Amino acid sequence: MFCCAEFWCQCATKYDVSLIPKELLPYAGAVVRNSEVNYEVRDIDYSNYRVKKAITVFNESGDDAAEILIWYNKLRQVKSVKGIIYDSSGLPVSKFSEKNFDDYYGGGRSSLFEDTRVKVFRPGANGYPYTVEYECDIRDNQTMIISDWVPANMFGVAVEKSSLTFTCKPSLAIRYKEYNMPVKAVIVTDKAGFKTYTWQISNARATRYEPYSPPPETFLSMVKIAPVTFTYQKIHGSYNNWNELGKWIYDVLLTDRDILTPSTIATIKSMTAGLADPKLKAKKVYEYMQNKTRYISVQVGIGGYRPFPASEVDQVSYGDCKALTNYMRSLLKAVDIESYYCHVEAGTNRIDMDPDFASMTQANHAILCIPFKNDTTFLECTNQKIPFGFVGDFTDDRTVLACTPDGGRLIRTPKYNATVSTQVRKATLNLDAAGTLNGYLQTEYKGSQYDNRDQIIDELPAERIKKFKKIYPINNLEIDKLELTQDKSLQPVTKEHIIFSADNYASAQNDKLHFSPNIVNQMRTPLREVNNRKNLVYINRGYTDDDEIIYKVPEGFKLEKHPLNVVLIKPFGIFNASVTFKDGQLIYKRRLQINDGAYSKDIYPDMVNFYQEVVDADNYTAILGKN
Amino acid sequence: MNKFLLLFTTLFFYVELASAQDFKYGAYTLDEMNMKSYKNDTSAHAVVLNEFGKAYFSSQDGIPLIFEHHVKIKIFDSKGFKAGTIEVPLRINGDDLEKIDEISGVTYYKDDNGNVQKTEFDNKNVFTTKDYKYRNTAKFTMPNLRDGCIIEYKYRVTSPFRHTYHAWEFQSDVPKIYSLYKAQIPAIYTYNIILRGGLKLLEDNEYKPLAERECFSYYGTKCDCSNFSFAMKDIPAFTEEEHMTSKKNFLSAIYFELSEYYNLNNGGTQKLTKTWKDVDYELSHDIDFGGQVKKKDYFKDKLAPLLTGATDTLDRAKIVYRYVQNNIKWNDIYSFATDGGIRKAFDKHTGMIGDINLGLVAALSAAGVNAYPVLISTRDHGIVNKLTPVIAEFNYVVVKTDIGGKTYLLDASDPLLSFGMLPMRCINDQGRVMSNNKPSYWIDIPKQTAAKTSSLNFVLQEDGKLKGTITNYLFGYAAYAKRREVKKFNTKEEYTEDFDEKRPRLKVLKSDIKGLDSLDGPLTETYEVEINTYDNLNASKLTFNPFLFNRITENPFKLTERSYPVDWGMSSNERVTLTVQLPEKFSVENPPKNINMALPDGGGKFATLFDAEKNKFTFSHAILLNKSIYTPQEYPYLKELYNQIILSEKVDLVFKKN
Repeated sequence: MFCCAEFWCQCATKYDVSLIPKELLPYAGAVVRNSEVNYEVRDIDYSNYRVKKAITVFNESGDDAAEILIWYNKLRQVKSVKGIIYDSSGLPVSKFSEKNFDDYYGGGRSSLFEDTRVKVFRPGANGYPYTVEYECDIRDNQTMIISDWVPANMFGVAVEKSSLTFTCKPSLAIRYKEYNMPVKAVIVTDKAGFKTYTWQISNARATRYEPYSPPPETFLSMVKIAPVTFTYQKIHGSYNNWNELGKWIYDVLLTDRDILTPSTIATIKSMTAGLADPKLKAKKVYEYMQNKTRYISVQVGIGGYRPFPASEVDQVSYGDCKALTNYMRSLLKAVDIESYYCHVEAGTNRIDMDPDFASMTQANHAILCIPFKNDTTFLECTNQKIPFGFVGDFTDDRTVLACTPDGGRLIRTPKYNATVSTQVRKATLNLDAAGTLNGYLQTEYKGSQYDNRDQIIDELPAERIKKFKKIYPINNLEIDKLELTQDKSLQPVTKEHIIFSADNYASAQNDKLHFSPNIVNQMRTPLREVNNRKNLVYINRGYTDDDEIIYKVPEGFKLEKHPLNVVLIKPFGIFNASVTFKDGQLIYKRRLQINDGAYSKDIYPDMVNFYQEVVDADNYTAILGKN
Repeated sequence: MNKFLLLFTTLFFYVELASAQDFKYGAYTLDEMNMKSYKNDTSAHAVVLNEFGKAYFSSQDGIPLIFEHHVKIKIFDSKGFKAGTIEVPLRINGDDLEKIDEISGVTYYKDDNGNVQKTEFDNKNVFTTKDYKYRNTAKFTMPNLRDGCIIEYKYRVTSPFRHTYHAWEFQSDVPKIYSLYKAQIPAIYTYNIILRGGLKLLEDNEYKPLAERECFSYYGTKCDCSNFSFAMKDIPAFTEEEHMTSKKNFLSAIYFELSEYYNLNNGGTQKLTKTWKDVDYELSHDIDFGGQVKKKDYFKDKLAPLLTGATDTLDRAKIVYRYVQNNIKWNDIYSFATDGGIRKAFDKHTGMIGDINLGLVAALSAAGVNAYPVLISTRDHGIVNKLTPVIAEFNYVVVKTDIGGKTYLLDASDPLLSFGMLPMRCINDQGRVMSNNKPSYWIDIPKQTAAKTSSLNFVLQEDGKLKGTITNYLFGYAAYAKRREVKKFNTKEEYTEDFDEKRPRLKVLKSDIKGLDSLDGPLTETYEVEINTYDNLNASKLTFNPFLFNRITENPFKLTERSYPVDWGMSSNERVTLTVQLPEKFSVENPPKNINMALPDGGGKFATLFDAEKNKFTFSHAILLNKSIYTPQEYPYLKELYNQIILSEKVDLVFKKN
């Protein structure tokens, strides 16, 4: 009896909120009190993954950090999960177990089918703060994918203590890499030869969102682990570097996946027969593939990593990124053009494959690379409309793993810098004394801005106009004519030409006209300040916007306000904006160039001022009058 | 009466009439293949050429309900390809589940040489996702889609849930040339059939309901059927508009609700949801509804210490409400009943709406406060029909209590709601008040209001900075929204820091937030600030836009006209008074005209008022939107009101040096 009471006492105080170190409280909606991840590779097709975690939630903003999500599939099975919820003084208020979890299909809306499922539990208590302590046991029957360990991966969550213990059997070597870790691994080998690696961090403060930060992957504390030999659904492999991994993908995942029927080969051959330039040949084949196929994603087992055979895509005319990339590779092979299937981490945030550490967890997409003699071309195979060789902001300027017959190679995709990614707009408009505006406005989009109008380019005319009214915030916009054309050559351009009118564009009061000369390219929200910034300033992608708008104003009216003239030159960007008045014309010019790159965090206040001045200049109201 | 709702009275004809039929599978016409666009809607990326559905009861074991669906679609371009992926939801309840079979499909397309090719859909490419406990989805996608292709598919669903006869949606996001639904109903079942939406059914002879003799038999018992044919032609695509409630309220569709059936086993007639009296009786005897509101004892001991000394009924009610709000967390699931009882949910401190609010009824009763559950349908779930009780049309429950001659509606699922405030999701027409011993009745769900009054007092200093105070008084939903925003931060100081950081030109010198935790009153924020406005005051003229915060520059309404009402769920008003003291040498050169613009019918207004005395001026403006719902007829006025607001907010004041 005494013993029990003693035990109870320990439990009761362990998660008392007042025990949390004070320095962990600022900006923290939740604090991870203790997290122990235990990863034990017992055999090549048998691992135990065990998580023990306790987290205290202070308010609603911390609820998400305490939500328990357990992803599983056929190879990764939940053995058990249970937990206890404590109140602010650390007294238990309730218990939960697997039967309290909701179980959902885990695939995304963009997939037709995925074999992932997820168990979810959102803990609740008698108000805030509360603490959730839980234990979860998972058996994993594969060793190809070992999840990264990222102990503090959410904004607003502090970490008191968090550790990863990784054990594996003597015959199974691993490679690992520590990123931004304050301490190195502690490695212990037991008598039986089992190696145990332990990493731990403690007292990590909560972080805040900071605009223009580098990708979190580059500054978070993290450990990546990759197997040397592994198995996945009876498929075996082994690699120590990108070259070997690429070789394995080529030899195992891609082998015999490029076989086409003789009739398809004949079609491709005859289609390109008249073309001598291999690039033009490839372009022709690419357009054929785009016209024939569409993106449909189905991910089941190893099918999440291995493409469907080209012959199957040929039959049904659809596939996911892997299937379509492999199909395109097979079509090119039919006309003797060599191409490489590539793994890439896609997304507007540019993330490189780490040149020093090869693993299967660094990519989420596949594209195709054609090594032409003097130029390497990349093809996005899941988009039916994208120009040949254009990768856009989805896979630009990053290293990808090209899987060649000689093994893997990291290659960089093309970059669209500020001078290439342009939006150039010209307009000539008539403003009458009632404030009505009419005229034409034309814009050209290039580089990574080429696809700025992709949302509406494929709509039919009536719908285009309806959607356009949401893009251009001109009140009472009536579009008389809207032309959108795309030149899909090797330097693609989107051209937009509209003829429009807008009643009450200018406010006519007391014989004056008040209006904003920056008609459609106004920056409205300033960049927020960040006190005590931690991260570098990082601009992911550069661009240039150029606007020149001529207003013909009514007879006798003149500019009655100081003209606008702003010139800002900074390492990260250049801004010019001016309003001049001459011969009954108000001429508005604006140029904003933002340069990609990493800058010192000390430059951030400068950047806040820069954007504030842009907002102010964009907000300039011209006043015209007859005096 | 809701013009989007129509209840059927049915007539039966035992006559031999040629009835509308399914169209032939596996055929297309040259016109269909060569079609370039749909003449009634040139914006359409696809059009349903023909659609046929049929539902009937099988005479097999368990009398499953069979639904057959057959569709032919013309796809003009790749934006229409999503019509080529078919998703069929399949219900599950324990061991009972709907099954799909007999799937076949075909794509006709022109190849690169202009020859028409045909690809059959391969059945092995059907996937079934187990979405959650109560639903699976069968998914398949058609092969070889090309611009201009025609797809055709059919499937059959066998359902054990014969009480919910398969509904039929005439409208979808793709327009349809023709859609026919045949519903065969054996005489042992009686359904209420409800047509929603604004479109008309075809009324030709071939669509008259017909009786068929002995169409259905079950272990030797035979009975007649009525065969309904519901059809529409030239059906426009359903386009959602912004600020509208559930599309279910407007989408043209046919729904069936079983009202009674003849029990083949005992020969008796089983009435289902015939009258509210029946519903009242059933729910009050339902262990997961009426059974739960009686569980007073569970709360008695827990509440006793909190209620000590509280004698006033309203005080007691508020204490109980607060207790429930803070002791159970909503798991984001809507329901009007519990699943296993409130005790289980409250012990776990997490539950569905039914757990939380039926628990609130029980807890209020335990404190001696009258309380009744009110069944409602949330905004996204559609408006409930008032013609016949359909229990499936409800998905939520709130609580009504009458104290001191005043009625309060309560929802304890959100700890930041004040006593008597319902969340926006509940603001939807009417609710049904249930009582264990009295007949149920309808109650209006009162509209809510968001109100904000701001007072800005500034002095323009010689250094070009505006210095002064901002005071915001927030009421109703506006106060709720602000509490929600502030509570995302750990402390008021962190909130204020964020407020300051988001406004680089502004520096908060001192701040105060009152009424953050006392939810029943207004919330007041006060900021002493300094705003960098001009670099200096050297110029002879300075311009100044008096709409310092939340200036409206873009009209939220773009459409020329609307088909459906604008439904904000709340009325709102915002009043701002700005006082600026200029340095003595300055005065306002262009005092703006006062504006007073009103919507018809007291629907709202926009007003400004300017007053200057020497170097000091006061400018106030108010935007009042008095209605929570604006009809399509009122829409142009609402749009124009915003146009006028934007025009007036464009005008800068000019400060002139004397």
